[in-house]
Order: sequence, then structure tokens, then C-alpha cells
Amino acid sequence: MSPASATPVSLDGLLLESADADFAVTGFHRVHSASVERIGDVARAYDEGAYLLEMITCEDRREDLKAMRLVYTFNRFAGDLDRHVVTVDLSGEIPGAEAPSINGVYPAANWFEREIYDMYGVTFSGHPNLKRILLPDDADFHALLRDFGRMEDAES
Amino acid sequence: MRQSAGPTLERTDEADTYYLNMGPQHPSMHGVLRLLLKLRGEEIVTCEPVIGYAHRAHEKMAENRNYIMFIPNTSRVDYLSGMIYNIAFCQAIEKLCSIEVPERAEVIRIIACELNRIQSHLLWFGTFLLDLGGITPFLYCFDDREEILDILDRVTGSRLTYAYGRFGGVTMDVDQDFLVRTLAFVKRIRSRFPMYEKLVGENVIFRERCEGVGVITPEVARQYGVSGPTLRASGIGYDVRRAEPYGGYDRFDFEIPTRTAGDCMARFEVRMAEMEQSCRIIEQAVAAMPEGPIGPKKLVQRLKPPEGMFYFAVESARGHFGQYILSDGSNTPLKLKMRTPSFSNLSAMETVLEGTMVADTIAIVGSIDIVMPEIDR
Repeated sequence: MSPASATPVSLDGLLLESADADFAVTGFHRVHSASVERIGDVARAYDEGAYLLEMITCEDRREDLKAMRLVYTFNRFAGDLDRHVVTVDLSGEIPGAEAPSINGVYPAANWFEREIYDMYGVTFSGHPNLKRILLPDDADFHALLRDFGRMEDAES
Repeated sequence: MRQSAGPTLERTDEADTYYLNMGPQHPSMHGVLRLLLKLRGEEIVTCEPVIGYAHRAHEKMAENRNYIMFIPNTSRVDYLSGMIYNIAFCQAIEKLCSIEVPERAEVIRIIACELNRIQSHLLWFGTFLLDLGGITPFLYCFDDREEILDILDRVTGSRLTYAYGRFGGVTMDVDQDFLVRTLAFVKRIRSRFPMYEKLVGENVIFRERCEGVGVITPEVARQYGVSGPTLRASGIGYDVRRAEPYGGYDRFDFEIPTRTAGDCMARFEVRMAEMEQSCRIIEQAVAAMPEGPIGPKKLVQRLKPPEGMFYFAVESARGHFGQYILSDGSNTPLKLKMRTPSFSNLSAMETVLEGTMVADTIAIVGSIDIVMPEIDR
């Protein structure tokens, strides 16, 4: 396990906040947050450091943060493990929340971004093929939004 | 459920190309995958995998159930390595909530997961050969695979969709008979490997169809986040069991087989070599099986996870299976994202299949070992 300080990725000036994380507890080596304008630059910096895009997902945080939050994790499969998570807060308007696509940097983002659009209604500008991926094409809802409420008896 | 009809066998705007739908009901296609192929003659110009036919909203269900209620869902995400997914979810929650697992339970889990991995590779082996037109190996490996299903069925009560893990252990203890049968199986499958090598690995028709076909370069693998045997066949020795050891794997001695060719043949060889490594792990685990409890000392009445983001990865039969959990401190996750390996592996196909022949499509898509329910979740 490489110490987080040995990271070859130069992220100076690209991030809002950045902190070490306890890998043994959280599974992340570093936790960052970035502004929506800079996420393309952040992705390019990781790409230059030969990191891969492990996943992108989204959180419906409109209740507590008044925002939709994108979560990117970057990691290395070749060389020492070094998992970074980058969160990006978008406006809480659905439809309306938009982020730039990083498909041009990581082709892996293509499907992840489509899934987020499908499930949360967040759009990605510059995405070559932004359409639904898992739900039917004629669905009129975004399934993972919290609009549908939570089952009452889940808290047993 | 309606998916867009899309073009079927239609002319495109370019005069010499046309569209062909392969799947979701193609007899050689794996599960409900549809490949929308744009062809020039028999050459693939572009390929767009169309997925979502087996979407069951597991991630939505996770947000509406407390953690323990989600256990039966896990093995249904990937029914071929159900045990690995089931145990992985338990291990994630144990790490999240700092629940200790007794050593005996850890060793039992490792045996169960490695048996599951062999079972999954055997099924892949059989169906891959079936795709390529060889029916006989399918019958042999299903015979082998049945033995694993029997062994696990006796302990867990299920053949495919296991719910064997609990937070802090497993549901049932194993007996002497389980260990004896497991070792007998290891002996049996070892005696079969030379036969498989002779029957398939040295078969000239098989080699012709696999060698140099569907090459995935390390750079393409990185760009798409390809993992598992598919990545290791491209020369990168990444295995979660070694890169970030979990569940006691660091106590066992095993190798990570890799090949550098990156073609279908390399993927075949990696999986065959991996089964032998799983056998080694099982042998060591049976020999090291400690006595003791198989569950937590004190029953976990109510889970109290810390707040925040959390990630836990395991090596499934198909690669890096990651679980991203967002916790608000309650016993229900705010968000559970499952990063499944086949999702990323399949997304690379648009690049890998470009410029190949239709006849090779089945070999290439078959060789990356996709399981549609795992992709669609």
C-alpha cells in the first residue's frame, strides 16, 4: 500500500478540499472535492498519472445538502493501490443539474454517466450518447431519486 | 418492459453498410444481451451493446431495506458467483460496523468462495466451448460443476442463490464430511485438467478461433476499467485478493496467473490456471481449518455504522466487485452502489469489437465471461 503522499497525480489548484483518509476504515486513501467546472481537469490529471476510473455514481442529497452529488473514484490496478474519491456537488434542480462529461478522458465514463442520467436525471454536457441504459427508453421517471419516499418499516 | 425497437436489419445512411441485431434472443448470446452491430459485409464497423433487460433495481431495494434484509439480494446480483457476492456484502458491513469474524468462519468462507469461483469458471468454460461449437466439453464440466453444487447445497441449502453469510460469520457450521468431499473434489478436478488441456487447449480448431482474436491492450483495459481474468490476460497482475487482501486471503499462498497476449486464448488460459490456484487455496484452508465458533460471540442486535462514505472491494469470478456505501448512521444505507466487473468489461466491447468479424463476436464476447444480471443489477 503506497502512502497517499507518494501520489504522482498533480492536483494543485484543481480541488476545493482534500484530505487523507484512513484506508483501513473507509477503503479510500484520499478524499477530495472539486467544483463542477474543474472535474474535467481533475480527470485529465488522473489520466496522466495512469490512474483508472473505477466508478462514477451519484447521490440524491437534496434533503441535507440541497445538491446532487457526483462521486468519482480513481484507482490504480497496475502498481500500488491508491484509491481516491472525488465528490462534485451540482445544483439540486432535477431536471437541470448538469456536469461536463469526462467521456473524452475516460471512455469508461460513457456507461457510468448514462446510468447516472438514467437513475438520477443528471445530464452530462458533451456526452456523445446520453440516453437511458438500464430503464426502458420510454420511462418517465428517474428511479433512484428520493422522490418516491422510503419504506416506513425499513427502520425495524 | 419495453426497450426501444431500434433498427433491426436495415440499411444505414451509408450505402454499403447495414445494421444487424445480435440478441437478446440469439442462441449463442449470453443471457439477454443485445449487440447492435453496424456491418460492412461481415466486418463490424461499430458495435453498441444494449443492456438493461435484466434490471431488477437491487440498488433501489437496498435503500429500502435494512442491511440484514438485503442479504438474500446479494447472490442474485451475479447468480454464478453468488457466494462471493453474498460473503462480500457481509464482509463490507462487518468492516463498516467493526464486527469481528471468528477464524473458523473466515476459513469456511474462503473454501465456499473458492469452490464458487471454480464453479463459475467451469460454467464459463462449458458455455464458451458451446458457443464455439464444441458440445462435448460442456457435458464434462457440468458433471464436475454438479459436484460443487452438491457440496455447497448440503451446507447452505441452496444451489445458486446462496444466503450463507451473516454479519460476523456464516449460518451453518461445516462437518467432516464437507471437508472430505471438498478434498475429494479437488483431487477429481485436478485429474481432469490434463484432459481439458488435451481436449480443448491443444485442439487446433479451438486455437484457431481464439489466438490473436479480440485482443485487449493494457491501455484499453485501463481506459475502460477492465478487471478480473480479462485484465490478467492482458498482462496486468491485478487481483483484489492480493492488492487489498480481505477476509484472510493474505494467510494463503497462491499465485496470480497472467498472460500477455490479451486475446481469447490468453483469457482461456488464465481462467484454467486460476482454477488450479483456487484448488491450492482450498487445500491449505482445509488443512488449516481451526476449531471454534462460526458466528459472533454476542448476537448483533442493531447495527450502528458510522456516518460517511465507504468502499469495499472483492475479487469475484469476473473481477473487481466494489461496494460503495453512503451511511447516515442508521441501519439502512442511504446509498449502495455496486460496481460490478462485467459492466466495465462489457463497456470495452465497443472498442474491442470494432474491425472484427461477425463470426468472432461470439468468441470475443464469450471470452470476457459476462453475466447479464450482474451488469443490469
